[in-house]
Amino acid sequence: MTMNYEEDEILRISHLKFIGKALSVFTHELNNHLAVLKESAGLLEDTLRFQQAGTGYDLDGSLNIIQSIENQIFKATRLCKNFNGFGHRMDNPLSAFSVNEALEELLALLIRPASQKKVGFEKDFQKDIPLAYNDPSRLQFLIFCLIEESLKSIENGSIILKTEYSEGLITIRISREGDFTETEKKDICSHNIAGRVAEQLGGSIYEETEGEGVNIMLPLSVTGEASNPELY
Amino acid sequence: MDKKKGIKVLLVDDEVDFVDTLAQRLRMRELLVDTVYDGEQALSFIKKVEPDVIVLDLKMPGLHGIEVFREIKSLSPQIQVIILTGHGTEKDEEEARRLGGFDFLRKPADIDLLVAKIREAYWEKIERVMTAAAFAEGGDFDTAQRIMRKEE
Repeated sequence: MTMNYEEDEILRISHLKFIGKALSVFTHELNNHLAVLKESAGLLEDTLRFQQAGTGYDLDGSLNIIQSIENQIFKATRLCKNFNGFGHRMDNPLSAFSVNEALEELLALLIRPASQKKVGFEKDFQKDIPLAYNDPSRLQFLIFCLIEESLKSIENGSIILKTEYSEGLITIRISREGDFTETEKKDICSHNIAGRVAEQLGGSIYEETEGEGVNIMLPLSVTGEASNPELY
Repeated sequence: MDKKKGIKVLLVDDEVDFVDTLAQRLRMRELLVDTVYDGEQALSFIKKVEPDVIVLDLKMPGLHGIEVFREIKSLSPQIQVIILTGHGTEKDEEEARRLGGFDFLRKPADIDLLVAKIREAYWEKIERVMTAAAFAEGGDFDTAQRIMRKEE
């Protein structure tokens, strides 16, 4: 596939926007964790000061606060680990990876923007999918584009992600349920970047039934070779 | 209706752990604090109980904080609003100030600063109500009556 300069530039800018948005969500989440930690530490300090002032000794209360601090640190650590994995997806353009794990990483970054529209995610992942040999970061970019496009036209609903493996092909299906806010059930495949990225992955993308969902067919190389090596 | 004396504060934030912990700290400082977790809950709440000061987040599920702010001002203009957000843009800050926001703070905020701002906001509200009452004697009776009734 050949792309002209303009298309290439649009794709490059879109990818940068994707990374920028991912960073923005990550820092937002991290800042929230830090804000909770600051308030929890402050509450512990308040509690100890009040105890010193003679209001009684509340060991259980103090231990509960310490436990909530530990829980918050655990959540923040999980967030960092997830984002670290997301960042390292870009280390190599081609690698063997779990499609389900790559999707999980991406969803962690999309939960907040989706929740602002009261949209949740449902996952229906096939568990025994073999590793794909492809570009995981590019796949995350593609799914991000499609989900972002979906979020423009629904609220109060859910986005369902399904993965399946059959005869050397991994299929990722994205479907939507909820209140459609724009031009009824907008065709999310119309996103001009998504089709190009799917081609770069050596796959294809098509609408299942009008507005209902989108299927991404991703060829899986079991030989360890790139699915579409001439692109790289 | 809460008959206790003190500054009535409503915290509006979808970060449950954050808002619940902050509420405990503010209560320890003798503020009367209620919490809700999105803008729609906040609007329902103030139709039943009118707080003196609302501490409002911007990014929440459903209604954006700025939309909630507009609704608050149309329902009860005398309620003071302090924005407390982790990620407000300059445009949000400008809009919040244009709408009459008392202050715009970033998370995590220092508790003493936040309490000071809440108290300042409360006293400004009282001053406005008193001014309106005094003004009522001089002329615009209807406006002052409306404000005083809300205050009761």
